[in-house]
Amino acid sequence: MYFAGIDIGSTMTKVVLTDQAGKLLSFIKGPTGAEHRQLANEVMRQALGQASLKIDDISYIVATGYGRLNVPFADRQITELSCHARGVSSLFPNARTVIDIGGQDAKCMRIENGRLVSFVMNNKCAAGTGRFLEVTAATLAIRLENMGYISLKATRKVSISNMCTIFAQQEVVALLSRGEKLENILAGLHEALASRVATLARRLGVEPDLVLTGGVAKNIGMVKAMGEILGCEILVPEEPLLTGALGAAILARETHMKAAAVGEGLSTKSRRLEKATFFSQEQ
Amino acid sequence: MTWFMGIDIGSAYSKGVITRDVELNASHITKSGADYRKAAEAIRTELIRKSNLTIDDVASTVATGSGADNVYFAGRKASDIVCTARGINNIFPQARTVIDMASQSTRVIRLNEEGIVTNFTASEKCAAGSGRFIEVIANVLRTDLPDFSRLAAGSRSPVTFSTGCAVFGESEAITRISEGVSKEDIAAGVNRALAGNIASLVRKLKLEEPCAVCGGGALNTALVKNLEAELSTGLLIPPQPQMITALGAAIIAATSVASQSRGKHNC
Repeated sequence: MYFAGIDIGSTMTKVVLTDQAGKLLSFIKGPTGAEHRQLANEVMRQALGQASLKIDDISYIVATGYGRLNVPFADRQITELSCHARGVSSLFPNARTVIDIGGQDAKCMRIENGRLVSFVMNNKCAAGTGRFLEVTAATLAIRLENMGYISLKATRKVSISNMCTIFAQQEVVALLSRGEKLENILAGLHEALASRVATLARRLGVEPDLVLTGGVAKNIGMVKAMGEILGCEILVPEEPLLTGALGAAILARETHMKAAAVGEGLSTKSRRLEKATFFSQEQ
Repeated sequence: MTWFMGIDIGSAYSKGVITRDVELNASHITKSGADYRKAAEAIRTELIRKSNLTIDDVASTVATGSGADNVYFAGRKASDIVCTARGINNIFPQARTVIDMASQSTRVIRLNEEGIVTNFTASEKCAAGSGRFIEVIANVLRTDLPDFSRLAAGSRSPVTFSTGCAVFGESEAITRISEGVSKEDIAAGVNRALAGNIASLVRKLKLEEPCAVCGGGALNTALVKNLEAELSTGLLIPPQPQMITALGAAIIAATSVASQSRGKHNC
């Protein structure tokens, strides 16, 4: 018996496959893109290939993320908040707070006994999301993945006075032309984003253990900046992008096991890996 | 008859005027570029040439705008809020509210019949509340700002932006283009979104009519129409709306010289 979680985010699509015991078998990360929202089947096919499984082998499939309705073969849809909470607590049983910073939003979640109890999110302003770093990295002509490492070399943090991403972009250009060192500017940018996310998180109350997920968790400069601002240790999963899909796979397994325990049958979708159309979506 | 100069160094453009007492005589605008001192000098040279004067003919110069410190030849600085109010009061003495739509920020100023500022607010933190939003989308549409208003006017069904953020708005515009939405509908959609953001800024301060607009945004007639609809009122548009703050600076130069000389007579 096998289970699958598929997380269709705004920038990346993630699939996790587990076995009967909940052990991770394979995972795939691929860009979402506009048409890929219709092509969840492609990512699933790759993940199945990696684990040498067929789609018929999968007992139950849960889809999550902002494109979760575009997965015709998924048996159930669960919000990404519940899936993230579940995925993180499977990796860090003592986690009480999760901060997920993606390319398009930032979410802060509080967990008790492995369940989501409350959350706050920002999807209104790019300045509080990974987008802030993406835009400024492009302005500074450096690769996003190098940003954090370079920021660690800073001898001081240049404070960034503009809150808006677009105004910060022009501030960064002015700072460079004044001869400010790249690493010092980067340290300032990381601090600016961290302080915005921290303000969001404090609305919820931050309690350790604190886990940072999402693409931004891969940035070592952000992990450092968040730790400094929140004054606590920041735990980061080995694959910070996968916690949503992992939680979905765990919830798929739990749903299936629960139903089996009481002898109830679960309705499942056709196991044909077809592309989503507007007509095949659930009403 | 005495000559005065007002120079307004903004983040995108630098503006300057020469007045004969408080009457506008000549104006000049140039990109601020990276060297604000150079921009200020270029404006002075051009204003002197247009007015057929020499530098010594100018009795006093007042500098304003975010780069006012770079106008080393100015006798004094004045706040841009005060200058905008004085400038609009000179053209529309009846105006009780003025909305200055610039690249970096939108400012709403309430003023009395003497052009004295009674209250003001600004949208400094967010590009989606300033002309910058339009510049960002104009860049996506590969159109110039002067064409932007014309494009927007040709729209049949403006797109609705789902976001209040200029960065997310940029991605949304790109998505809409890929879906085949016309440039016209996107341009009109941005104008409408910006007008909505400006209107909420105006409501924070309470609108007192008559209301005037100025700044580069006032040249975007489609935007002004949207704003009129949002605020349910007609808006006064001055000639050369970008020059209002510089004009106010020159008027402040003229009136402070006048009050100083009055002071001397009294002694």
